[in-house]
Amino acid sequence: MIENPQEQFRVDVRRRLLLLGGASGLLLVGLGVRLFYLQVLKGGHYRDMANDNRISLHPIPAPRGRIFDRFGVPLVENNPDYVLAVIPELAGDLAQLLSRLQTYTSLSDKTIEVVLRQSRRQRAFLPLKVKSHLTWEELSGIEVHLPSFPGVIIQTRSQRVYPYGVLGAHLLGYLGEVTDIDREQFTQIRFRYGDLVGKNGVERSYEELLRGVEGVRELEINAFGRQVRELHQSAAQPGQDLYLTIDLALQRSCEELFQGQTGAVVVLDVNSFEVLAMVSYPAYDPNEFIRGFTAKQWYVLLNNPGRPLSNKAIQGQYPPGSTFKMVVALAALQEGRITPQDRFFCPGYLMRESQRFNCWRRVGHGSVNLEEAIEQSCDVYFYRLGEKLGIDIIEKYARLFGFGESSGVGLHGERHGLVPSRTWKRKTRKEAIWYPGENLITAIGQGYLTATPLQLACMTAAIANGGTLYRPSMIRNNAVTPVIRQPVFVRREHINIIKQCMELVVNGEHGTGRAAKPAEVRVAGKTGTSQVVRQQRHDDRSDERRFRDHALFVAYAPADRPEIALAIVVEHGGHGGQTAAPIAGKIIDRYFERQRLQQGRGVDHVL
Amino acid sequence: MFFNRNEPLLLISPRLELVRLTERFSRFPWGLLVLITTVFTIGMVALYSAVGGMVNGANFIIQQSIHFTVAVILMVVIALGESKFYRRHVYFVYAITLILLLLVMLSGTVGMGARRWLDLGIVRIQPSEMMKLALIMALSRYFHDQAVTPGLRLVDLSVPILLILPALLMIIRQPDLGTAVVVAATGCVVIFVAGITWKVLLISVTAVLASMPLVWNWLHGYQRQRILTLFFPEQDPLGTGYHIIQSKIAVGSGGLTGKGFMAGSQNHLHFLPERHTDFIFSVLAEEWGFVGVLALITVYGLIIFYGLLIATMARDRFGMLLASGITSLFAFHVMINIGMVVGLLPVVGIPLPLVSYGGSSMLTVMVSMGLLAHVSVHSKQHGSYNYN
Repeated sequence: MIENPQEQFRVDVRRRLLLLGGASGLLLVGLGVRLFYLQVLKGGHYRDMANDNRISLHPIPAPRGRIFDRFGVPLVENNPDYVLAVIPELAGDLAQLLSRLQTYTSLSDKTIEVVLRQSRRQRAFLPLKVKSHLTWEELSGIEVHLPSFPGVIIQTRSQRVYPYGVLGAHLLGYLGEVTDIDREQFTQIRFRYGDLVGKNGVERSYEELLRGVEGVRELEINAFGRQVRELHQSAAQPGQDLYLTIDLALQRSCEELFQGQTGAVVVLDVNSFEVLAMVSYPAYDPNEFIRGFTAKQWYVLLNNPGRPLSNKAIQGQYPPGSTFKMVVALAALQEGRITPQDRFFCPGYLMRESQRFNCWRRVGHGSVNLEEAIEQSCDVYFYRLGEKLGIDIIEKYARLFGFGESSGVGLHGERHGLVPSRTWKRKTRKEAIWYPGENLITAIGQGYLTATPLQLACMTAAIANGGTLYRPSMIRNNAVTPVIRQPVFVRREHINIIKQCMELVVNGEHGTGRAAKPAEVRVAGKTGTSQVVRQQRHDDRSDERRFRDHALFVAYAPADRPEIALAIVVEHGGHGGQTAAPIAGKIIDRYFERQRLQQGRGVDHVL
Repeated sequence: MFFNRNEPLLLISPRLELVRLTERFSRFPWGLLVLITTVFTIGMVALYSAVGGMVNGANFIIQQSIHFTVAVILMVVIALGESKFYRRHVYFVYAITLILLLLVMLSGTVGMGARRWLDLGIVRIQPSEMMKLALIMALSRYFHDQAVTPGLRLVDLSVPILLILPALLMIIRQPDLGTAVVVAATGCVVIFVAGITWKVLLISVTAVLASMPLVWNWLHGYQRQRILTLFFPEQDPLGTGYHIIQSKIAVGSGGLTGKGFMAGSQNHLHFLPERHTDFIFSVLAEEWGFVGVLALITVYGLIIFYGLLIATMARDRFGMLLASGITSLFAFHVMINIGMVVGLLPVVGIPLPLVSYGGSSMLTVMVSMGLLAHVSVHSKQHGSYNYN
């Protein structure tokens, strides 16, 4: 026993200090465990967070591919857009600086107010956008006086420009900000918020090629967001330039001649099925999509009865009317149901099952053979062929000529048209039975049958080249042999008979398409009229334009050695021979006139 | 009991235990100074990086070096003091400090939303820092004089509580919650070592826990916010949670071996707040990793161990209690600071001893280390005397 109270105290103190020492040891080990957890176990997580803190990724935009016509004329370009910006920390008195800038650029007081408000929200060393789309005058004015505007910078960014405005608008398309629909369609592209993407036409169809790959700058930033240094940079890969099959001069002729009408024109090269021109009217200026619309402009565009936003060449679906008669005639010849010499009598109508089927000529055509029937577009003759063939054979030949399916041209939003059949009717209609009368109506290209102008042009081109249906193309980037969709399937002599008939339509004494006769070359064609209101035929002079029939015309030229084929639809244009044929004739005339002049001068192409 | 009543007599003739100066010098615990210098050196490496090297922070680096040099000299001088010198003047020091605290309350300088400093013209002093030591000394002296062995009853605690409470309340009023907690905790440790009975300990702990809701109500809004933020820092990532989040990122991203000297992105890109003062541990952790912080914690552990050892060897009760109190004060600082930096404790302004930049913190720590060394110099292991 320890006697001394102090030593006794010491023993007690030792016990208590041992306890304290143990406790602090435990606490220190606890801190060590915590540090082990943070640094070793979760080290990767926190390293990522530290990198998120310090690394900021700045995209380098990839220049989008340009688009040229077949001769290298630029149709879509990227122009620099000059943006006036200011770095507030260098500017001194920002409000005063902005008001001084008003001398050189149109800056409203309201804009200045907005900019000043923005300047309070962001860091003073970050550029503050003041005005985009500077004009040359504004730009040069400011550039000259730049030394007296501290902190003012001119930023350059790329902007899509369509130098010809409405010309080829539907074909080329336009750009818009990316939406969920775009993300779903282009799953390979990693869009960022606010990215521009092709919304229509070639811009959309070839988005993947045109787009290129964005580069990226990895910047190290400090806690205030100021750039410290550049860590890494990967260059942008520019998008691919596209060379279209379009002939700008022809496209321009088509649009000029189409002024004031509503409808579409498609011109094809008969041997390669390259699209030389594709017009839809009325059109819009794609540059407005880039600059941005006012609500009113957009409203006007949306509510225009001419539907300027749709590309009628591939999206307009019209009953082909009499332009379909070539298909029916070829079917009848090929199936041996008629010979070209067979005659039918046309009294102006045909009665079937107490139903009256009118010919467009109320007084009738009298006795007509195949040649006369096509030349004068006799409906009764083709009612009889429809009876003889039936819907199954008509459907088969219509499909062989490419009706009822996508042409494969590769443009966004192409429609298929419709080739009716028994099966189709059973599936989709309440009256499931195919009536014999419907054979008759289909044979003259009316009823359920519809086709796009592009499909009509393809049909015409296939007839013109002797019976081969190719896949139409828009892009010439690498010369590809045209893809055959349907090899020759009718005998050449039958095709030749039909081609002869089509020559008569334009050149014959009674031809319905005489108005299309051009000066330069001999043309073969076929008129068509597609009914807008069924059953009772409306008077052509009807006041209500929207009840008038659509005028159609298909043609190829030159008649002896065809080079181009075209299809033209004038909505509510009345008879095809009246409205559509003259436009077609002038288009062909201009095309060959220019070709003659160029050859004379020994130049490959001149615009 | 009898012995203690006689002690004042001994005070009258202190020279009985006079040890020669050279002897005291040779008894100086040089090992402690080596450990302290090691921590300081590690701290200087971190500070060098935290202030951006000599280019940007030469001022800080030179200043801190001067602080340390002065502080080491002060430590040695204090350590070499006569054996009973400090014990004799304890209550005087305590009274002066209490008066200074009172002056702060009445006319202190406001900084960072709190009234903590007393401006004396040339220097600004922080009486709450002094009070940490003064209180330990006063309590040690009181228990030394009482010499109740062992087992203090509740009634025996009335004087110590009277010593603690006024100081504590004034510090809380400043408000400086961190220091208040340290002062209270250190006081409790001294009472505990002095020999509180387990029953009384249990009652006290229960009482403290029971009063927690009251304390919560009494806290300032920002103090409550800090405590809440500790548990949910992500709720306010740009506000009060920012410090905790950025500090945890800095510590965690250091990994096992760290990003390398002067290569901590959290530090150099200014994501880390208070880099050279309260959060300097994060800089070390980021650049030197787990290996680096483990080294520092180990040295801290050795210092604490050394301190406790000195306490057990002390010549008298005063020495034992003083050494225990100082060591626990040191340990509290280390643990609270690191705990705060790694997101275990609320953000309170407790600097990391010997490492955080700052003269007053350095001086307080080194004065306390000097007192610790003083206890060691006069400890029993060198017992050439038989006191009893």
